[in-house]
Amino acid sequence: MSYNPIIMLILFFVFLAIFLILFRPVKGYYWILKNSLKQNKKIVIEDILKQLYHCEISDKEVGIEFLSGVLKSKDTNILEAVKEMEAKDLISTQGNSIKLNTSGREYALKIIRVHRLWEKYLAEKTGYDKKEWHDRAELMEHKLDEKATNILASELGNPMFDPHGDPIPTQTGEIVELGGVTLSSLKRYDIGKIIHIEDEPDVIYRQILAENIHIGSYIRVIENNSKRVVFYAEGEEFILAPIVAANVTVLTIDNEEEIDKDLVRLSSLKENETGEIISISKESRGEARRRLLDLGFVKGSKVSLDLTGPMNNPRGYHIKGTTIALRNEQAIHILIKKSSQNGKV
Amino acid sequence: MSKKVENIVEFANELRWQIGDELHDHLTESIYADAAKIASASVSTENSKKSFRLDAKIDKIVTSKIWGFPIMFLVLALVLWITIIGANYPSSMLATLLLDNVHPILKSFAASIGMPWWLDGFLIDGVYLALAWVIAVMLPPMAIFFPLFTMLEDFGYLPRVAFNMDYLFKKTGAHGKQALTMSMGFGCNAAGVVATRIIDSPRERLIAIITNNFSLCNGRWPTQILIATIFIGAVVPSSLSGFASVSAVISIAILGIGFMFLSSWLLTKTVLKGEVSTFNLELPPYRPPRIWKTIYTSLIDRTLIVLWRAMVFAVPAGAIIWLISNIYIGDESIAAWIINSLDGFGLILGLNGVILLAYIVAIPANEIVIPTILMLTVMVTGISGGEGAGVMFELDSVNETATILRAGGWTLLTAVNVMLFSLLHNPCSTTIYTIYKETKSVKWTVIASLLPLIMGFVVTFLVAQIWRVF
Repeated sequence: MSYNPIIMLILFFVFLAIFLILFRPVKGYYWILKNSLKQNKKIVIEDILKQLYHCEISDKEVGIEFLSGVLKSKDTNILEAVKEMEAKDLISTQGNSIKLNTSGREYALKIIRVHRLWEKYLAEKTGYDKKEWHDRAELMEHKLDEKATNILASELGNPMFDPHGDPIPTQTGEIVELGGVTLSSLKRYDIGKIIHIEDEPDVIYRQILAENIHIGSYIRVIENNSKRVVFYAEGEEFILAPIVAANVTVLTIDNEEEIDKDLVRLSSLKENETGEIISISKESRGEARRRLLDLGFVKGSKVSLDLTGPMNNPRGYHIKGTTIALRNEQAIHILIKKSSQNGKV
Repeated sequence: MSKKVENIVEFANELRWQIGDELHDHLTESIYADAAKIASASVSTENSKKSFRLDAKIDKIVTSKIWGFPIMFLVLALVLWITIIGANYPSSMLATLLLDNVHPILKSFAASIGMPWWLDGFLIDGVYLALAWVIAVMLPPMAIFFPLFTMLEDFGYLPRVAFNMDYLFKKTGAHGKQALTMSMGFGCNAAGVVATRIIDSPRERLIAIITNNFSLCNGRWPTQILIATIFIGAVVPSSLSGFASVSAVISIAILGIGFMFLSSWLLTKTVLKGEVSTFNLELPPYRPPRIWKTIYTSLIDRTLIVLWRAMVFAVPAGAIIWLISNIYIGDESIAAWIINSLDGFGLILGLNGVILLAYIVAIPANEIVIPTILMLTVMVTGISGGEGAGVMFELDSVNETATILRAGGWTLLTAVNVMLFSLLHNPCSTTIYTIYKETKSVKWTVIASLLPLIMGFVVTFLVAQIWRVF
């Protein structure tokens, strides 16, 4: 074959395109194929059980159409799975409505236990982004057997809640009531503490993440109408659409004394201001949290802004006699009380 | 008995639930509280207000929006300039001594004791020459670069550079301190890889290790300068040739930084996803650098260790270079066979078989790439020049070097692609070995070695094809 640069270029780009189509992270056909080969009946059954459990909690009627819509699986597959589940006494059907039996509920709780434990594991021990926790846990929940799950749980110190604030079922299948009400149902001037942020659907979860709303922060609602929910938390103002606010769960607090009104984020500290550290938010986890503590960002430490840098991020904070630079994404997790407007360093 | 154990375990679990997940917080708080109490009881502080204010003043300037970046680039450029210019003199002295004087003495000594030609060639032309070359070219720049760099570090300026640069590095998932290890890589990639120890977050450290090779190291600057002078300088009017070749070399270095960012980003998005990542950066107070201590430690810790590793690898390389040029299969030497079989692939990349073979045998040190290319070119083309098969050489005259390379079929495209390939190819064996020592992982070592090589193939390929289309 005679050499021709144009043909070579075309060949190159064809190979590149094929490679990308096949091996592009997550969406590449190779990965999709690999995952779909594993889509066996066990996974369909477990996914149905989980859906049934969630619907039972929120008192929703469930039929075949609903399941095939949510699970994005073929109707025939789901029908087949439902038949098998009935035979195994996991569920019972009445007309078009499907209900969990006791053994089915136990099974569902086991799956949920793995899912939430794995999210906790991802949050504490790895560097995966928050947006990926759910999808990775969805894959893992079908893989881990009971023994491995218990080992995982004790490695993590038998946690009670997953990083979104959902309770984790215990080994014996007990689960704590979450309680609380949705943020969208609060009235003006209501106060409370965020205890849970729902990670599904993805679109809404991403919006909540983008707003930097943290589990564990105290909030005060300023406005709530059909257009928007406005609230204050940690010295910042947040505006959410009601549909987004519905995915945030808040534990209301009646006594105003219980919450610290002056709590603000370290990121809001300005030059020549001094603050005292009150706590580190629950959203700072694992190794990153430990590192902050080790550097002296502990309750009671005095802190001031030392350097802002050419990009305004990271910034240098003066703490315990030395200057430590933190990125703004870290500083929003540190809660302080400003001691004076023009204090001395 | 087992009932009792069960009870204890259950009790322990219950207690754990009561303690909650803030145990570590409380522990650290109480440690700090104790430490503060002990410190205030036993340490009396001098009034150090004044030095603190000076520190703050320096900090305000070197991290300011206007001066932060210009000062940084100026300092880096100055360090590189002193290194490259300053290393010329001792390098040529060492070369005169080891290559022009000691080498002939060894040769005549070997002849006087009647050493057989093959042993003499193997030991003196192969092993000794490679060793001498590596020492002559490698030692002076490292002995200048590392002390300068260490002094900046000692003074306290380098953490400020990391502070300024962090925002840019963060975008690719890397750590601001990678700016330092990258700059260190301009001196020597192996030293740059060792320097990544300052990054304490596992993911960011791996990124810094794997991408360090994209910093054009001391061993590659001379290659870039030589080729740019011969080929790039020749296409513009002679009054501009110096400027053109210098800009070409600088563009290659900047391109390297671009590739460093690109591959950092790629790594974060693919293989390094999920590795734990943390950030913190201490900005220590400034202090006058301790010059003698710095020179001593940087010479011992960095220069000599790296040089020793390079020498260890140079010995077999020299032996191999001599052997493949002097062992014949049929009527061709092994080198000629390899060159012929690599030629087709090389030409597609806009390179040639000689260049590819030189990069294979010169894995121990980038410094011997040009001498090897010259030797192989003379051998293959059969033109006059050089010192014989398997004997590496370099010419004082740029013009004579140009003549040999042109005789070897070099065009402007070849030159551009050699400059690109010199930037984008596998790290030298010293660096590969250092990467393995630092990561203790075959996987990361392989990725760090192959990633730049693949990029080099792709880039030179694309450049060659597009060049030929137009």
